[in-house]
Amino acid sequence: MERSIENIWKEGFLKSDALVAPKINNLYNQKSIHIIDKFKRMFKINLIAIVAFSFAFLIISFFVGIPITGVIFFVTLSVLVFINKKLLNDLEKIDLGVSSYQYLKAFNQWKNKQIAINKKMSRFLYPIIFISMILGFWFKDAEGMPLGERLVGEILIGFPDIYLIFGIPLIGIGIVLLILVLLAFFGARIYKWDLNIVYGRVFKKLEELMTDIENLRS
Amino acid sequence: MSSDFYKTSIVPFAGIIIKLCRAYTNSQEDFEDYYQEVCLQIWRSKDNFREESQWSTWVYRISLNVCLTLLKKKKNNVQHFVSDSITAEQTEDNYAFSDESLNLLYDAIRKLSEIDRAIIMLYLEEKSQKEIAEIIGTNPNNIGVRVKRIKIRLKKILDGKIN
Repeated sequence: MERSIENIWKEGFLKSDALVAPKINNLYNQKSIHIIDKFKRMFKINLIAIVAFSFAFLIISFFVGIPITGVIFFVTLSVLVFINKKLLNDLEKIDLGVSSYQYLKAFNQWKNKQIAINKKMSRFLYPIIFISMILGFWFKDAEGMPLGERLVGEILIGFPDIYLIFGIPLIGIGIVLLILVLLAFFGARIYKWDLNIVYGRVFKKLEELMTDIENLRS
Repeated sequence: MSSDFYKTSIVPFAGIIIKLCRAYTNSQEDFEDYYQEVCLQIWRSKDNFREESQWSTWVYRISLNVCLTLLKKKKNNVQHFVSDSITAEQTEDNYAFSDESLNLLYDAIRKLSEIDRAIIMLYLEEKSQKEIAEIIGTNPNNIGVRVKRIKIRLKKILDGKIN
């Protein structure tokens, strides 16, 4: 007689080998492989690296004569760290003990929020870093005068008819603006591409799980 | 982890965890990783248990939520949810029960979607539609229909193998 799946299940687990728990060694010190813990680790490592880099760069910038770049870098990266620290705190609040739908929804909402915020910030971050470099080198001391003014002076010797706005060549302003626009345009995309390479498949799976449960709810 | 907590609060429910982890893995190594991770997350989350449900139900929720969103690195170093696209053919030979019918049933269950796997496991553990709906976070009325569909699908898979 054909056995039902209920009987196969019940009878199968009556056998002694069916429910043998694996040995657990030093579990508390095991590195978690859970997605939320991986995100937490990634965020913490990134934030520590950003803080260390911005401090080191601030100090170095004073030594190499581009303190404007160092200060702008430091302030911008501090804002980035502050916002991402808040995102990390939100991640800590996700409860694994709720229903699968609530849990997946909470994680999905966090994921969408952090992508939206970091995408928006990337749109500004790269242009700010670029402009801080330009300003830093423009005002860097070059034998008693700012490097930028000295450079313009030398350009004017070769091209005396060049058009200036506030003492800066128009073509230079045009190139800088073009680069700023490109960085703003690609900044957000670079962040999304980067995230998709590492977590794209996981995010897709998350969406599929959500859709499956939502279909069941309707 | 406090060994007392493990012995008193996890070991009595280890069967639940083992059964679930088996449905979402295809090798002994993955199974052991999943089991350890579930135990670790239960221990870490224990302070969030508010006694609104039974401890066993709460262990089910944690186990299921961990299994649904666990990350493992595959050979090509790309991160995946391991439970994704497991086929019976991929299952390791040494990763089997002595009961052949149970092995076939598990192979069939692994062919279902992640959520269907969860539903049928809870059903086979004799959880009511209401309890299943609470654990998954869905409408109890739809659970009965889904269970019927899953059973038909499992039967088709099993018939192809057994008969």
